Amino acid sequence: MIAFLKRFSRNPAAVVGLVILVLVVAFAILAPLLYPNSPWKPVQRPFLAPFAQAGFPMGTDTLGRDVAAGLVHGARVSLQIGVVSTIVALLIGVPLGAIAGYSGGWVDDLLMRFTEFFQTIPSFALAIVMVAILQPQLGSIILAIGVVSWPPVARLVRGEVLSLRSREYVQAAITIGQSTPRIIFSQILPNTIAPIIVIGSLMVGTAILLESSLSFLGLGDPNLMSWGYMVGAGRTRLLDSWWISFFPGIAIFLTVLALNLAGEGLNDALNPRLSRGRK
Amino acid sequence: MKLSRYAFAAALCAAAMGFTAAKAESVVHVVIEPEPPLLMQGLAQNAPTNTIAGNIYEGLLRYNQKLEPQPSLAKSWEISDDGLTYVFHLQEGVKWHDGQPFTADDVVFSLDVFLREVHPRWRPITDNQIASVEAVDPLTVRIVLKQPFGPLMTALEVASAPMIPKHIYEGTDFRTNPANNTPIGTGPYKLQEWKKGSYIHLVRNTDYWLAGHPKIDEIYWQVIPDAAARAVAFETGTIDVLPAGSVDVYDVARLSALEGACMTTGGWEMASPIAWIAVNLREGPLSDKTFRQGLMHAIDRNFGQEVVWNGLGRVPTGPIASTTRFYDPAVNIYDFDPDKARELIAQSGYKGETIRLLKLPYGEIWDRWAEAVRQNLLDVGVNVELVSSDTAGWTQKTSDWDFDMTFNFLYQLGDPAIGVSRSYVSSNIAKGNPFGNVGGYSNPAVDALFAAASAEADEAVRQAKYSEVQKILTDELPVLWLLEMEQPTIYRCDIKDLVTTAIGVNDGFRDAWRE
Amino acid sequence: MNLIMFLLGRVAKGVVVLMAIAILNFLLIHAAPGDPAQVMAGQGGAADEELLQQLRVQYGLDKPFLTQLGIYAGSYLQFDLGFSYRQQQSVLSLIMDRLPATLLLTGSAFVISLLVGTLMGMLAARRQGHWSDGAITTVSLMFYATPLFWIALMSQIIFSLKLGWLPNVGYETIGANLSGFARMLDIGRHLILPAMTLGLFFTAVYVRMMRASMLQVAGSDFVKTARAKGLSEGVILRHHIARNAILPVVTLAGLQAGQLVGGAVLTETVFAWPGIGRLMFDALTQRDYPILLGVFFISSALVIGFNILTELVYRIVDPRIGAQG
Repeated sequence: MIAFLKRFSRNPAAVVGLVILVLVVAFAILAPLLYPNSPWKPVQRPFLAPFAQAGFPMGTDTLGRDVAAGLVHGARVSLQIGVVSTIVALLIGVPLGAIAGYSGGWVDDLLMRFTEFFQTIPSFALAIVMVAILQPQLGSIILAIGVVSWPPVARLVRGEVLSLRSREYVQAAITIGQSTPRIIFSQILPNTIAPIIVIGSLMVGTAILLESSLSFLGLGDPNLMSWGYMVGAGRTRLLDSWWISFFPGIAIFLTVLALNLAGEGLNDALNPRLSRGRK
Repeated sequence: MKLSRYAFAAALCAAAMGFTAAKAESVVHVVIEPEPPLLMQGLAQNAPTNTIAGNIYEGLLRYNQKLEPQPSLAKSWEISDDGLTYVFHLQEGVKWHDGQPFTADDVVFSLDVFLREVHPRWRPITDNQIASVEAVDPLTVRIVLKQPFGPLMTALEVASAPMIPKHIYEGTDFRTNPANNTPIGTGPYKLQEWKKGSYIHLVRNTDYWLAGHPKIDEIYWQVIPDAAARAVAFETGTIDVLPAGSVDVYDVARLSALEGACMTTGGWEMASPIAWIAVNLREGPLSDKTFRQGLMHAIDRNFGQEVVWNGLGRVPTGPIASTTRFYDPAVNIYDFDPDKARELIAQSGYKGETIRLLKLPYGEIWDRWAEAVRQNLLDVGVNVELVSSDTAGWTQKTSDWDFDMTFNFLYQLGDPAIGVSRSYVSSNIAKGNPFGNVGGYSNPAVDALFAAASAEADEAVRQAKYSEVQKILTDELPVLWLLEMEQPTIYRCDIKDLVTTAIGVNDGFRDAWRE
Repeated sequence: MNLIMFLLGRVAKGVVVLMAIAILNFLLIHAAPGDPAQVMAGQGGAADEELLQQLRVQYGLDKPFLTQLGIYAGSYLQFDLGFSYRQQQSVLSLIMDRLPATLLLTGSAFVISLLVGTLMGMLAARRQGHWSDGAITTVSLMFYATPLFWIALMSQIIFSLKLGWLPNVGYETIGANLSGFARMLDIGRHLILPAMTLGLFFTAVYVRMMRASMLQVAGSDFVKTARAKGLSEGVILRHHIARNAILPVVTLAGLQAGQLVGGAVLTETVFAWPGIGRLMFDALTQRDYPILLGVFFISSALVIGFNILTELVYRIVDPRIGAQG
């Protein structure tokens, strides 16, 4: 653990990423304290430029709502969507990949065909159709993002399991007659955690971006102020009131960047042998 | 900056030259959004179809901006003293785009056969009001009514009753006739090419019956899905005309202030749309009049008009727009008054039930408006949740009464008997129609007043009845009126006489010309 | 011979997957709320039950669900993608009208991103730790992490509005009636902004992938061997490292091809590019099922085609795969 932290902290980019992430999470948690009012509430005149008025460092939007309040509350929504939809994707992808990799044979073949099947349907289009069908709500957005992002997880886990399965200690467990679920859960999965965390951290970022795209097409949850919503709603005002969509855009950018940097740092720290190796 | 632009143009000399050559004839580029599904105006009456097809097809009448009937395919008309017989004399020498002559038989076929079968707004008029339509001679048509129906004279514009060529449609299955893709009208423009997803190209009808018209040679209607991109396209000169609703309302002021750009809110007199929130009156707190009155006091309608719509439009007092006939300002008025709202809501016994407010999926401005209204209602303690849906979802939920409150806007169509009564009379409570009486409002007194006013020939008596209806409705609030919408059309100032009628751009290219 | 058998096998598998996708799409889409007849009738400003019934009969929506599915599957087996009553045109012709635009856009974006991405990735890997490595990595991350539509709109404001260099919407200058070379130039000018926007996102992905892959291969035993044999760095880079490092990138590219078709919806929306992504989105909001299903089918078929192509490339680049599998 100490060695891991040491390796992680030797990577300055990763540390920066982690710091940004901690800040974003802190904002998300402290949102109700920082801005107790609803971010939807008009509080000043519309189109107030940043710093034009004390207390409004990021200005106001088309309805006179505080952009800073939206940004802080939006951190909650965007992170929530990013994390939960990633968990959904992992919940589908990890078991599928593990079963496929461990069982091999026709089960593997069948599951991989199934995965391929989902990779064949254009994923963004599928997400759009799913959200439109289930109506744009937090639940349907998370589900749609989860459903279109699990295939790479399944492939990754399958690959890892396939290689772990042939290791001596797993073979030994099989020989001494341990049950299959027990081998999967106690011997194999713990050893796949590292790559799963890495791919997961990247997926959180992708999910936040995906939500913003859905929001742009009018498929966001109308009751939740996410960063994607803010960028989309402010986009027609880029020319005269750039701040409305600029700050949430920067927030998305920084968060995704931080997740990538931290994810890569994590990867390097967890795989000292393959340092700076695979994605 | 300028220099580099020219340098680039020079490098693409060939392309640039082709471009200039095309501009030499008068060409106008107009935004159309969304792309219409069909240009056959008898079969499709959505907004984009009407905007384009009104220049391909024609009705018997046109209307000036005071909503007075003007000659179109009908040159003149006589109405009998009892208000039951209408005789229309047609223009001479009118030809369909395929060269066939236009005659009284086409009018009879259109009104009595084609539109009666497929046109949702014309059908009730033929079925309920008209006894017969007949051709007296090739240039004369006589319509006999069952009872007096004054609004007939406002119902004959091109979108409400387009003339359809009998020789192409008679005896065919109207909806699947292959000719639907190659619309044949009598109008000033012919369809030249439709590149799906890209543009619709209309060219001048050289055989048009009105000598010297039209004056513009070609019109390109360009499909540009994103509002921000449309604004840039107008600013960079790709587009010459932005019909109402094409750009974000905040861009209206900026774009109209550009050099050589003009703006008008005219051309919407026929439609005079009123935006409102329809309320499902069937159950729950919303069935209580006091609660609805509370909501009306809670919604800051001035904020909607000033901020959300950036000053466009007027706050309405009731169901009939102040710009149309039979409007009466002496009604119950609801000011923005949160305290009174709280009081009324408490009085109604509201216990915090969640109320679903369905957004209208027509772009950013409707989203902002829904957010503002929700905030107003949350502020007085009404628990509102926004529901969003795409066009199809909105249509189904509204048509099937699956909502608590839903945004909507309806055209007034020149006469309360056509455009207003449909939302309040109990005979129009039927699933399947998002523009009917979706809230389920039923008041025999209102039904009787609307019916009597429609069948009355004397204007003063009609006014009295409509005034009474307005009083009742503003007390009972079957819907919450939000805004008399004003629709800005932005265009290059060198295009003259573009908006001269009550439907504006929709039939405006007949008389428009370019300096 | 081996290659032909492989191809036949893959195509057969592809057809099965495609049929399954077609049926899944059908089920998915019919679960959607929203009745196409209502949408059509509703736009007229009024509707009655009689009219709705007429429309339903016309659309075939009055038939039992399974019958509808049967008709659909049957016609697909005959390569008939159905008829859009809303647009009064066959779905295949509607899609074929729009497909070239999408292929041009996504194809160029794909080529740009692959070329720029692998080159930049190689450069970054060669200069590992150098400031240029940092710059390449940061810039590519920047494009990856910014919402696509935001970049699209910014580029319109900068290059169309402020600088006036490039058109911001459309496929060609409408009404210019150009032909031949002039028309190609014109289309090219319209293509630049959307293709760059769409390409940038994927460029970022390829840069990262290529860089990581290069570094991994550079550390492997056979490269050390080559170096020990005294081969020049240039030869090692070209023949050993780059050649092997590009394999995972090719795999990814095959998968990305599918994303390009679907991901073009946003780009096509912002740049008014008349492609099938936009066709699909409009069909979705109008519940024009035949078009929606047709677009899904064609884009899935494209993805399968791309994947087969990738595997073929893979076999050519790396003959060991064929021997193994």
